[in-house]
Amino acid sequence: MKKTRNRNSARGVWIFGDYRNYFQDRVTLQLISKGKELAQKLETEVTVIVLGDGIHQYAMEYVAHGADIIIAVNDSRLKEYQVETYAAVVAEIVEGYKPEILLGGATSFGRELFPRLAKRLNTGLSADCVALEIDPESGLLIQTTPAFGGEMLADVVTPNHRPQMATVHPGIFKERPHDSGIVGRVLYPEIDIRPDERVQLIRSRPHRTGKTNLEGADIVVAGGRGMGPKEAFEMLYELAELLGGEVGATRPAIRAGWADEERLLGQTGKTVKPKLLISLGTSGALQYTAGIQGAETIIAVNRDPNAPIFKMADLALEGDARSIIAALLEELRKRV
Amino acid sequence: MNIAVCIKQVPDVPSIRIDKQRMTIIREGVESIINPLDCVALEAAVDLRDKEGGSVTVLSMGPPQSEEALREALAAGADRAILLTDPNFAGADTLATSHVLARAISKLEPFPDLVLCGSQTIDSDTGHVASQIAQELDLPQVCGVNEVHVEKDFLVVKRVSDRFLDTIRVSMPAVLAVSRELCVPSHIPFAHLERAFSERDVIRWGMDDLDLKPEEVGFKGSATWVARLHTPPAKRKGEILSGSPQILAGYLVKKLEAMGIIDEEDKKP
Ligand SMILES: Cc1cc2nc3c(=O)[nH]c(=O)nc-3n(C[C@H](O)[C@H](O)[C@H](O)COP(=O)(O)OP(=O)(O)OC[C@H]3O[C@@H](n4cnc5c(N)ncnc54)[C@H](O)[C@@H]3O)c2cc1C
Repeated sequence: MKKTRNRNSARGVWIFGDYRNYFQDRVTLQLISKGKELAQKLETEVTVIVLGDGIHQYAMEYVAHGADIIIAVNDSRLKEYQVETYAAVVAEIVEGYKPEILLGGATSFGRELFPRLAKRLNTGLSADCVALEIDPESGLLIQTTPAFGGEMLADVVTPNHRPQMATVHPGIFKERPHDSGIVGRVLYPEIDIRPDERVQLIRSRPHRTGKTNLEGADIVVAGGRGMGPKEAFEMLYELAELLGGEVGATRPAIRAGWADEERLLGQTGKTVKPKLLISLGTSGALQYTAGIQGAETIIAVNRDPNAPIFKMADLALEGDARSIIAALLEELRKRV
Repeated sequence: MNIAVCIKQVPDVPSIRIDKQRMTIIREGVESIINPLDCVALEAAVDLRDKEGGSVTVLSMGPPQSEEALREALAAGADRAILLTDPNFAGADTLATSHVLARAISKLEPFPDLVLCGSQTIDSDTGHVASQIAQELDLPQVCGVNEVHVEKDFLVVKRVSDRFLDTIRVSMPAVLAVSRELCVPSHIPFAHLERAFSERDVIRWGMDDLDLKPEEVGFKGSATWVARLHTPPAKRKGEILSGSPQILAGYLVKKLEAMGIIDEEDKKP
């Protein structure tokens, strides 16, 4: 067994503060909340590390959401997210303070930064975790991540290297309420910043593929392969309109061209937290259910009584999704 | 322009079945394929070589049967294929995998101008390896690349990252992880496959060829361990209702009413 550092000297739960837009900000807030829980079990504190230019407001937000300590590197050379430079700066600070755990959101940037950082720190990394716990016996972080295309979950541990690192899928943990009365400490370490000249951002533009309000919707009607063909899937748009909701889709439905990519739900798509989600003709693969498990109520329609989706449904209807929706639409049209 | 492409042979994930008693995957009847995003990387590499000159070397770390994937890559137009195989490489996490790949790349002569990887694999889906190769070789990296233009000794690439479309100038040598949008892999003619399987060579490098020690590779060189495999917990166990579409739609209506989403009063007489 290789020991790269004395693991007993490592302390603290750290979170990388990813604030580039609202959704990234939220995943950091969700991680602070989970981090608090982990830190309590380890009897330690939550630190958020945030890099950039003019980041004071984010630092304050993170404190209001429960961070005990903020390590802020405020420098105009960190204005743009650049993986090489960020990895170098974070690594230097981590090597100085030796946190026990370092978490980040599984955003595009997090997924690019964390592997480089883990390699630099010669430690392990688990990707896209859906649960994090402290093992009561060993005190190790149990990093639960989907395996084998989502059929199973793997509990991954990092026994001998520090920090224990994981990226976490947005939307898995609930953020704590904002409380501007909380006081936190903000540290501004002295860091020698050398931007990597080999990579230059020429242009960065907001990229919108279309406008849906899936993430904010109270009602989501989601269709899978079983909701095809296209003509049948179209009924979902009418249903969503009648109920004041949005349409979501699984990967096969999008691949078949029944819905646009921005309606993809799941691990590689969007995470939704509606009051009601109706899932139609979806088998319930974990990659998909990762995006809908935050729904308060789930109604599932499938013609296969053994479909895994039924295991997470509050109301499970066995039958042909297309005929049921057609009958439902007929009923709803009478009402409006 | 000399290009190295890292590919992985993976089980065709949709056909995987799980032995839930023993918590293992049932390998019988599961076809092995080249990880689909790696096919995109390979196609892009072959296109660039055809335009710019140079060579394409494909590398794969895996068990001996991964040779099939490398032969397929030769049939798809690669010039040289190297299989990194050794019993000690088994059980590697991404840290140990990227170590072997990076070491192999550093041994290539000439050193590649460009290393291409797929952004993630369909079997483990971590998306770590490209970044970790870049770190180990101390090269700049761009992930999720959907467009590449070659200028003299640098590249101009585009990628979508967290709802931003970035245009980036990166000097070579560099590591790029490609997205599906970059290009569409072309169909490999059967004759090319036949030739690749009967006439071409696949070079094999083991631990000693790469000057690696057992504790740096495979399970021993890995920082993460899988402690346990389990099936996702069933969150709720509602009763399953069946009946005619009208009956089931009726249940739905009741539920929507109970939740206050639709009003009973709205019903027209
Ligand atoms: C790395 C990776 C990432 C992925 N990320 C995502 C992701 O983010 N989101 C995602 O959705 N998927 C993702 N997938 C794909 C995922 O594994 C599943 O393949 C997908 O979610 C299945 O979609 P589905 O349920 O629509 O189709 P299927 O699995 O084909 O299921 C269709 C279901 O509909 C039922 N059915 C068929 N006809 C009818 C009918 N007429 N009436 C009622 N029921 C019917 C069938 O019984 C079946 O259960 C990912 C896969 C991988 C490998």
